[in-house]
Amino acid sequence: MLILGIETSCDETSMALVREEEGKLEVKKNIVSSQIKIHSKYGGVVPEVAARKHVETIFSILEEFVEDRKKIDVVSVASGPGLITSLLVGAEVARTISYVWGKPLISVNHVVSHIYANWLKEKTPSPNPSPQGRGIIEFPALCLVVSGGHTELVLMDNFGKFKVIGRTLDDAAGECFDKCAKILGLGYPGGPAISAYADKLKVKSEKLKVELPRPMINTPDFNFSFSGLKTAVLYKVRDLGKKSFGESVRREMAFEIEEAITEVLVSKTIKAAKKYKVKTIMLAGGVSANKNLRKKMGEAIKVELPNTGYQIPDIQYCTDNAAMTAAAGYFYAKTGKFTPWEKLKVDPNWEL
Amino acid sequence: MHFISKNEKETLAFAEKFAKKLKGGEMIGLTGDLGAGKTVFVKGLAKGLGIKENIQSPTFLLMKVYKINLRSKMSDVRSLVHIDAYRLSRGEELTDIGVMDWLGKKDTVTVIEWIENVPGIFNENKIIKIKIDFGEEKEGRILEIK
Repeated sequence: MLILGIETSCDETSMALVREEEGKLEVKKNIVSSQIKIHSKYGGVVPEVAARKHVETIFSILEEFVEDRKKIDVVSVASGPGLITSLLVGAEVARTISYVWGKPLISVNHVVSHIYANWLKEKTPSPNPSPQGRGIIEFPALCLVVSGGHTELVLMDNFGKFKVIGRTLDDAAGECFDKCAKILGLGYPGGPAISAYADKLKVKSEKLKVELPRPMINTPDFNFSFSGLKTAVLYKVRDLGKKSFGESVRREMAFEIEEAITEVLVSKTIKAAKKYKVKTIMLAGGVSANKNLRKKMGEAIKVELPNTGYQIPDIQYCTDNAAMTAAAGYFYAKTGKFTPWEKLKVDPNWEL
Repeated sequence: MHFISKNEKETLAFAEKFAKKLKGGEMIGLTGDLGAGKTVFVKGLAKGLGIKENIQSPTFLLMKVYKINLRSKMSDVRSLVHIDAYRLSRGEELTDIGVMDWLGKKDTVTVIEWIENVPGIFNENKIIKIKIDFGEEKEGRILEIK
């Protein structure tokens, strides 16, 4: 089966081709707007924020897929959750392709797509493979979906069976990275900027001058809160004053921010994994590209849940991309979940 | 008018009370630095309007729309549009993404965080402006309403 994926739920405009053979999913083509130069007739290179002008971007990407139209078996589009105006662009393109090229259409959930990135063949070898073997994802599984817009713990009992058991009550983890980086005067996106700065801190074992809270780490539920961490960083910077806020303090702060965010994420994931007795733990979403989160989660699983598998998506499929949308499309198609093009609807608040 | 809030709880309660005066059609512009408590204010506002859903930060998605249950007798307002212009730097960026289609309805309350980032697209005279500043106490805030 050859699946065309379309993803426009927020900033990125992306289309991809994924081939399924005997249940294995291989990415044939994956174009993401932030990585390419748009043909000049559509307005040149797309800057970060203007990338939301999906209408201008999507046609130059679509041109790259016209040659594949005869081979495509199904079209899979992310129709929510997301920004309604962005979602509509992807949905209209998908609807048109379905009608004009005569392809069955599948409407998939964006968060579920992130999770299915773990089934793409191009995946990072697991540091703690399932006892059944490397790359085998056994159910029930638990996935921590973390990005700029999402922070959710999703229990997956089987293909197509998802349940959100915890989520952020305010800011997403990726957003917290971005805003803390802004307060510290570091770059955008905040996650990589803070990580790079934290790595500059040489002696990590020494007691740091800066201590930040670990919001909600001990609450009995599986929810998160990151807004207060941002405010705590703000108060620290204010209390330290400009004079003592030099490079070394900034490194300490960056290190401690990354520690605080990753510690809370790992702790709640492990706690949930124990409660639901899952066989595999997975990561997904843009923040799952964070090296320290990947490492810490792996270490915690080895110590606390040595018989639980650990699966992480390949770095390039962590942030928004259409390969994951196509992968999700395959699993929806397998169970016959098609949507006639006339009935395709977007749902900006689509809850699992 | 001014309101001095000692902490998050007081800001929430103030916003909840503030919501009761809204009739629909209002546009509220929120300004204040990172961590000032703009989203906290919106959480209180939503509660006051009878919205049961939890309000998450809309920074990444730019806009979220919350429907208010018809049976809720708390007010005539039927939806809350929550916009966050934190990531934007020009007014046209908001029009480019089509947000304007969702504004201006009589049964809708619209609240825009970081409204100063998107100048020139809203009618200044029709906006209720709320500025949140840090107070003298650590967790204190001063809310100025125009």
